[in-house]
Amino acid sequence: MSSDAGSIPAASIFFVNKMRPQTLHRVAAAALAVSFAVLARAPSAGGQAKQQATIVIDPGHGGLDVGAKGKFGRLEKDITLAISFKLKALIEQNLAYRVVLTRDKDIDVSLENRAAVANNNGAALFLSIHVNGSFRKNARGSESYFLSLNATDDETRKLAYFENSSTSLQGRIAGESKDDVSMILWDMAQAAYIKQSSRLAEEIQTELNRALGIENRGIKQADFKVLRGVACPAVLVEAAFISNPQEEEKLVSEDFQSQVAQAVYNGLASFLKSGISK
Amino acid sequence: MADSKKTLAAVLFGLLVVLVVIFLVTSGRERIRKTANPAASAAASAPSDERPTKKATLFFPRDDDGLLVAEDRDIPAGASVDRDAVMVLTELIKGSSGSLVAAFPPETKVDDLFITKDGTAYVDFSSDLADKHPSGTDAETSTVFSVVNTLTFNFRSIKKVFILIDGRERETLAGHLSLERAILPNYSLNVKR
Repeated sequence: MSSDAGSIPAASIFFVNKMRPQTLHRVAAAALAVSFAVLARAPSAGGQAKQQATIVIDPGHGGLDVGAKGKFGRLEKDITLAISFKLKALIEQNLAYRVVLTRDKDIDVSLENRAAVANNNGAALFLSIHVNGSFRKNARGSESYFLSLNATDDETRKLAYFENSSTSLQGRIAGESKDDVSMILWDMAQAAYIKQSSRLAEEIQTELNRALGIENRGIKQADFKVLRGVACPAVLVEAAFISNPQEEEKLVSEDFQSQVAQAVYNGLASFLKSGISK
Repeated sequence: MADSKKTLAAVLFGLLVVLVVIFLVTSGRERIRKTANPAASAAASAPSDERPTKKATLFFPRDDDGLLVAEDRDIPAGASVDRDAVMVLTELIKGSSGSLVAAFPPETKVDDLFITKDGTAYVDFSSDLADKHPSGTDAETSTVFSVVNTLTFNFRSIKKVFILIDGRERETLAGHLSLERAILPNYSLNVKR
């Protein structure tokens, strides 16, 4: 990414003097990404033809990217798609949300495009469904992750300071040329939603623990490429370990897939109940 | 008035000298220690092996929960910090001498390694690390942080690690953790000792 000083929006000036040009450029880019996500959501809030709010489900991997593999040959990409379909059905039956999948068949979708599906649809929530794999024979259980900000990202942490005040961020940003916008990689939009993402992960993990009888496992953080650019609360769920033969057997059963989908659904429903922006 | 200013100046100067001394003494010193190879010094006991060794601490995930556990090992001393670091990673790839887990496809090689002035180690692994990686969040976490935590722990000149595959930057190893920037160590993944 070039550090083009010309692309700095005038509005970020209040912390301009403390940052390096490259840092500035990144903050500007991320702030723009967030503000455009807000704009994308604006029509539904404006309420002409009242558009339904959207939840984006991301079935991990697909196509040539098979993901993790089990001893019996089961592939992560197939199980994530199956669970995602079940989760989609549950949400559409019970909640007033439209559901968009980042893929609904066995195709390659880049990690950046998955985040873009969320942002272009002005998603209220983003759920990436995965199945875990490990070098360890004993690895097992379900886990919920939210993004960890790599502490080397000065600019990311500064952005996180806004903690979701995306509207005020938007207000601080002056007009910007479309060319710069097209260069934006959405690379840090998630930084502004860390707090809600952590709460969403917590709600989902609680339900997974309850449904699957897991000894109370906490939520985790990692620097997932797929979550970095998502401009709404976002969680990555690891249903179970496909690298563990016992769990591989479970993962292919309809029952287990439904249990996982139901637990994730319960978690996100109680998250929505207590208000997204909390 | 002038006197107190002079004493203040003297105190500040003294402080400066102390700081400079501390800086000079600590800078550039690696945690990894040259052990004056007892075999080499006591020539009578083992005259054939005269290569000096160094003690390194390797971090491997343990089987039950994946937390990283330290394992000390003697490695042949290299000509530079870069070479020592390659040697440490080579040992890490070979795996644990006990019951800990190796978080690498066994074919993985370290093709190159260099350390920049700002403390970033660029490590270039052979394509095996990505192509033969089992994938999975847990597996990628084990690989990335056994590398990053081990390097930053053993070498003071390494503060963070940029992982390259086959000479190029890569988005992820196998679809999960981002490799697009230098990674800081995460010692919360280590077993508390």
